[in-house]
Amino acid sequence: MRECLSIHIGQAGIQIGDACWELYCLEHGIQPNSVVLDRQQDQLENAKMEHTNASFDTFFCETRAGKHVPRALFVDLEPTVIDGIRTGQHRSLFHPEQLLSGKEDAANNYARGRYSVGSEVIDLVLERTRKLAEQCGGLQGFLIFRSFGGGTGSGFTSLLMERLTGEYSRKTKLEFSVYPAPRISTAVVEPYNSVLTTHSTTEHTDCTFMVDNEAVYDICHRKLGVECPSHASINRLVVQVVSSITASLRFEGPLNVDLIEFQTNLVPYPRIHFPMTAFAPIVSADKAYHEQFSVSDITTACFESSNQLVKCNPRLGKYMACCLLYRGDVVPKEVNAAIAATKSRHSVQFVDWCPTGFKVGINNWPPMVMPGGDLAKVHRSICMLSNTTAIVEAWARLDHKFDLMYAKRAFLHWYLREGMEEAEFLEAREDLAALERDYEEVGQSF
Amino acid sequence: MSDTLTADVIGRRVEVNGEHATVRFAGVVPPVAGPWLGVEWDNPERGKHDGSHEGTVYFKCRHPTGGSFIRPNKVNFGTDFLTAIKNRYVLEDGPEEDRKEQIVTIGNKPVETIGFDSIMKQQSEVLDNLKILYIRKVDLSKNLLSSWDEVIHIADQLRHLEVLNVSENKLKFPSGSVLTGTLSALKVLVLNQTGITWAEVLRCAAGCPGLEELYLESNNIFISERPTDVLQTVKLLDLSSNQLIDENQLYLIAHLPRLEQLILSDTGISSLHFPDAGIGCKTSMFPSLKYLVVNDNQISQWSFFNELEKLPSLQALSCLRNPLTKEDKEAETARLLIIASIGQLKTLNKCEILPEERRRAELDYRKAFGNEWKQAGGHKDPEKNRLSEEFLTAHPRYQFLCLKYGAPEDWELKTQQPLMLKNQLLTLKIKYPHQLDQKVLEKQLPGSMTIQKVKGLLSRLLKVPVSDLLLSYESPKKPGREIELENDLKSLQFYSVENGDCLLVRW
Repeated sequence: MRECLSIHIGQAGIQIGDACWELYCLEHGIQPNSVVLDRQQDQLENAKMEHTNASFDTFFCETRAGKHVPRALFVDLEPTVIDGIRTGQHRSLFHPEQLLSGKEDAANNYARGRYSVGSEVIDLVLERTRKLAEQCGGLQGFLIFRSFGGGTGSGFTSLLMERLTGEYSRKTKLEFSVYPAPRISTAVVEPYNSVLTTHSTTEHTDCTFMVDNEAVYDICHRKLGVECPSHASINRLVVQVVSSITASLRFEGPLNVDLIEFQTNLVPYPRIHFPMTAFAPIVSADKAYHEQFSVSDITTACFESSNQLVKCNPRLGKYMACCLLYRGDVVPKEVNAAIAATKSRHSVQFVDWCPTGFKVGINNWPPMVMPGGDLAKVHRSICMLSNTTAIVEAWARLDHKFDLMYAKRAFLHWYLREGMEEAEFLEAREDLAALERDYEEVGQSF
Repeated sequence: MSDTLTADVIGRRVEVNGEHATVRFAGVVPPVAGPWLGVEWDNPERGKHDGSHEGTVYFKCRHPTGGSFIRPNKVNFGTDFLTAIKNRYVLEDGPEEDRKEQIVTIGNKPVETIGFDSIMKQQSEVLDNLKILYIRKVDLSKNLLSSWDEVIHIADQLRHLEVLNVSENKLKFPSGSVLTGTLSALKVLVLNQTGITWAEVLRCAAGCPGLEELYLESNNIFISERPTDVLQTVKLLDLSSNQLIDENQLYLIAHLPRLEQLILSDTGISSLHFPDAGIGCKTSMFPSLKYLVVNDNQISQWSFFNELEKLPSLQALSCLRNPLTKEDKEAETARLLIIASIGQLKTLNKCEILPEERRRAELDYRKAFGNEWKQAGGHKDPEKNRLSEEFLTAHPRYQFLCLKYGAPEDWELKTQQPLMLKNQLLTLKIKYPHQLDQKVLEKQLPGSMTIQKVKGLLSRLLKVPVSDLLLSYESPKKPGREIELENDLKSLQFYSVENGDCLLVRW
């Protein structure tokens, strides 16, 4: 029961997915050939294993042969990235039908992803999704991984989300989106793609967790001693956050957080569903054990901008909701003390109309790191999801860049050629402007 | 505190308001009545004196303000291991009392925390069923343990202990050679900031036959002897922030057979030498070393990386924040030079070295030192190749790079003149074939100058009208051949006039 389907779209989504399932397999002791590692354990360990079998059922499907297959779908409009998975370390983990690729890619163009090229692949994707959903006893919802700036990640995702709402209207849909970095651009038309996709996806998503490449890049560079962070380093950090968020779903824990609980606790209005993520402690593997991190230490660290995964300044905004997900050796007494310490920080301001609720999740399974990675293994970690009005800064930046290009109608013909109309651009931009106003309104005092 | 005045309190570690100290004295300090404890603080500025009071020395401290006298009841001796576990994980008070503790306020609003009861129940079950025996990892850092014996006493009860962290406990290590108790399952031992010495490390390690990772950060360690029967299974050794370490001491740990990761950050190291290996050979030291970390040191010579090339198994290196690699602008060049110097390196500063990058780095290196190579006797013909000892020592891989990519060609080594105007000027001689008494002039003219302008210049010089002048030029490369410069609108460059050519003026 309570199964979750992960759908990974586009290059970003697929690469994050690759790292993500690798980490899940490590955490659950699943070998690259889908078999659960049968370590010779003492009785206690075996007892624990039985316990966990029941919960990783949410993410893995057990076949009759005893293999554990991830409940995931990887979709891309061109084959290169997916071929990387088909020939990579984890190729035997996935069923070939879960890895879908088209022939012609979206070329960083929302219109291609959504209208021309995407429409050819959508039916196949929906069919496979149906198959996976049928294997579930009680599907809770979907986790979508994608980027805002790419063609497939923006265009195809908006098409897919629309159709998913049509078919599975009562199921939750959470997104993990890679937001275009403020200063490091991979494509010139990222602002167009991002605005267009946000406009068309907002009504179909329940909650979007944003991650910004530049913030993670800086963390890797400054804290982890990685000279030139590659996508692999960045993704290894991002999946730690993803793992923390889904930990309650995969391990038995006293404070279980269902997908619906996330929504209820983090989203005050349907459109204000973009929480900011932060993670602590981030320790380089070369400095393992040099410092001890108490629950208080890591809780305070979460409120520091250097631990955030999105570049924005929460001191300039107000918090509407806050979710603290602890993992590892954490006891409730210490959590209380940590939260009390936070109260003395004047920089943490809540909006007037919201009760100061900190939703706390504790999962005693320790955080794991990938061997050979940059992160040190720690006893306890925290992932903070906070819905803060400061995130409107991210949207303002994007809208500004959009305006600069649209004023000159630059690069527009690539979209118009694929059948889009200028009206859609205007509509999307209006929608984002309204979103910015919504955020400002909720942040105002009475 | 009934045992406050007994002798065994001396040497114990205590905590007072967050500050840690060691008890050095217990007794009476006249003229004030009552029992006193004399403590030496970890923080040397915390105290008031150095152990003496009104002329009498009660105990000694290392710093003049390192000591204080405190009443025994103000001091926290800590609790024992099992009680500490219970305090942390088990609900001692009733559920009602705890609920009161749960209400915390932020600003003016009470904060609610939800759902703790079930966690606490689950965690207390752990202890009820005596599952304590199965504990695999214990973190006893920053506690009040005062001796290794106490640690062994705790660890003895935990048969399956794999990871033990006793950092930041100022431990006393027994001086005898036999330590009771073996930690047979122990794989990871963390002794950061414990004040341990190398000899003591070896004695403790004797009790851990399967030890794989040993962390000894910030202990002022001086490696004094070679480990013979101990530490042979160790894969990772962290010696960060031990400023007394120098490269000679490293020879003493160079023969640990399984050592794969060595962390020497912030130790003040500036060089490494492997004298047993000549140029281009591999050393027998550090046979299994795969990953070396030398961040935050004093490395300032490129020869450091030439030495690292001698390591047989080195695959990854982290070398940040050293004088050699500090400048941001130079970071890219430094990276390429390091890659080119160490052939088998696969990861540098946690970034994988892709084949493309390695190729680029090696070609750059070959070109950058090409002129030096030539001057040192290098030649692409192996018969004529006689490189100097000095060059070979400074660039041990150069020969190999020549074999891989071919010897550098002359045209590759020509240095580009910077694009300044003075480098674009042609130095030309001006001769007057009909007027032999005129001196030969030498002028510098830009190649883009038109013939018309040249004529104008000459006209002013010679006081001859422009229309009377006829120009041509000859080049020393093609003697005897004269080329007319007839089109006034074309430039000198158009006629391929080059540096050193001679203009011939007739009128």
